[in-house]
Amino acid sequence: MHIVRVLSLLIAITFMISQPVHAKDMVIKEPPKSLDKLYPPQSEQPRWTQQMHKLSTHFGAVFINLKEKDFENVDKHADKLVEEYKKTSEMVPEWEEYFDIKAAEAFAAAAKTHDMAKAGKASGGLGKTCGKCHAEHQVAVWTKYHWPSFHKIKVIDPSSEKEVDFHKFMKQISGSFKAMRVNFGEGQYGRAAKALKAFKSEYMELKSTCSKCHTTDDVKRFYVGGDANKAFAGLAKELNAEKPNPGNFWKNVGLVGKTGCKNCHLTHRTSSMIKEVWEEK
Amino acid sequence: MKLSTRLLNLLTAVGCFAIAGIAIAYFLINEKFEWIPEAALELVHEKELLERPEAKRCSECHKDIYDAWKDSRHSISWTSKTYIEASENRTKEKCLACHIPESVTGEKPSPRLDRRDEGIYCVSCHFINGKMNGPYDLVAPPHPTHRNPDYVNSRFCGSCHQKTFKEWKETGEEDTCQDCHMPRTKSRLTQKLPLSLLHKKKWVGNHKFLHGDLNDKNILMEAEFNKKFFNVSLLNNAIPHAVPTADNGDPRLYLYLTFFNAAGEQVDQAKEIIAPQQETALPFNKKVNFRYRLFDPTDQVDIVLKYQPAWSKEKDLVWEKTVRRKSK
Repeated sequence: MHIVRVLSLLIAITFMISQPVHAKDMVIKEPPKSLDKLYPPQSEQPRWTQQMHKLSTHFGAVFINLKEKDFENVDKHADKLVEEYKKTSEMVPEWEEYFDIKAAEAFAAAAKTHDMAKAGKASGGLGKTCGKCHAEHQVAVWTKYHWPSFHKIKVIDPSSEKEVDFHKFMKQISGSFKAMRVNFGEGQYGRAAKALKAFKSEYMELKSTCSKCHTTDDVKRFYVGGDANKAFAGLAKELNAEKPNPGNFWKNVGLVGKTGCKNCHLTHRTSSMIKEVWEEK
Repeated sequence: MKLSTRLLNLLTAVGCFAIAGIAIAYFLINEKFEWIPEAALELVHEKELLERPEAKRCSECHKDIYDAWKDSRHSISWTSKTYIEASENRTKEKCLACHIPESVTGEKPSPRLDRRDEGIYCVSCHFINGKMNGPYDLVAPPHPTHRNPDYVNSRFCGSCHQKTFKEWKETGEEDTCQDCHMPRTKSRLTQKLPLSLLHKKKWVGNHKFLHGDLNDKNILMEAEFNKKFFNVSLLNNAIPHAVPTADNGDPRLYLYLTFFNAAGEQVDQAKEIIAPQQETALPFNKKVNFRYRLFDPTDQVDIVLKYQPAWSKEKDLVWEKTVRRKSK
């Protein structure tokens, strides 16, 4: 009986592991290394994105010109599309199989009949090749090349005045935030006030960190703006009072969390977590 | 008449003509250059000077200006280690416009593709729409220069230093960026003979773009003990923009406070970071107050202010002061 159970379990595990990805599942796989050379910093320009725009423009231009009955430009864009499609197929060797040159040529030939219906029908075969690659890689490419790598960002620790790793700093700031809440909960208001000072200076330091990528003050203020400043002033007022009011204290704790921490985490953490997995490899 | 006398007369005549020629040229160039026919000027123009030359080429005549610029932060805006690190090896697009501007005109510039190693150089600021521009109309034989009033106007610097320009504008002060950061001295625009002698001395701005000094005359401090609190205020009373100031750099003032009891033992410490990126920089003529709760009996506070420029990891002492509790 025991062997039967073990065998059943093994079969079940094997089945689960080998189960194919369903249509609605999404696997975010790190893009191939060869794509690095088509994006900064290895490339001065985001060449792969520019290439995608070229393909999309020529493809769209065929239909725009068919509609306008500008057949000279239909032919021109159909030819350019095939030319760029071939060029693109050679840019990332690992993705060569996504490309179907015959489908691109068939689309160009259909476009050159200047018959909208024929072009539309032939576009399906070509569109599928784009769609398949986008479905499998677009999110990963956006994540890798269009979102910042937080591990590269250094933050000046306001206490030691030394540059520290971003993740280390986030742990530190989380610790200060907790120290303030825990001490307040225990009625240790003096300690809570000291923790607030550390927390506030670390929190404000993040404004400098934001400005490393964001040039407009509005972005910084979205995370660490007037609401956060008011909440900090409210916390300081309670902690410096003879008898702090817990209601006001916790309301301001919530405001700091909501206006700053949550907004930033909602925007940046998903991409950052995916990148962390790739960068740990 | 003796041959020697004849020769002497001839030499005297040639000398007189030469002096008269130089005097006329000097007069025409400095006072009435509109009288000089365009065709005559065309003959002496060096056309390649209007084809975005490298800074070294400009230095052949404008040596003093070149030397000052070479010593400035502008000359290393593309090559400085700080910039390369902060821009992740120059990959941040937002930095390009002002670190390698094509042409500065009072609006945010576009980045250029050529001569990037020269940073913000002669051509970036003086070559606009195919013409050499400057604060004076000059007939300068190698290249004519057109007077552009922007060169003595803060708006010009505000092309890139937009936040600082805005801060300055809000102060309503008349002293321009150039008045403080490009102080003028009467000197020659060129050092190449004989061209340098053909122009009158003019007011020439310092192209090192001086960084002002901070001290206890322009950053004032007041402090007092108030029961369980210690209050400090800082006032930037002389610099008509926030201190420190920067659009994207991260210069900082650090204010350190060390608290001592009557026995001289340290009982606490505190620190403030005064930085434009944290929106805590000291505005012009507006007190900034800090309040510290005294958790233990405190009789003395040592206060130190240090400055760290955006491009350095070192801090310079601005001032240090000691405040003692007044005895009852």
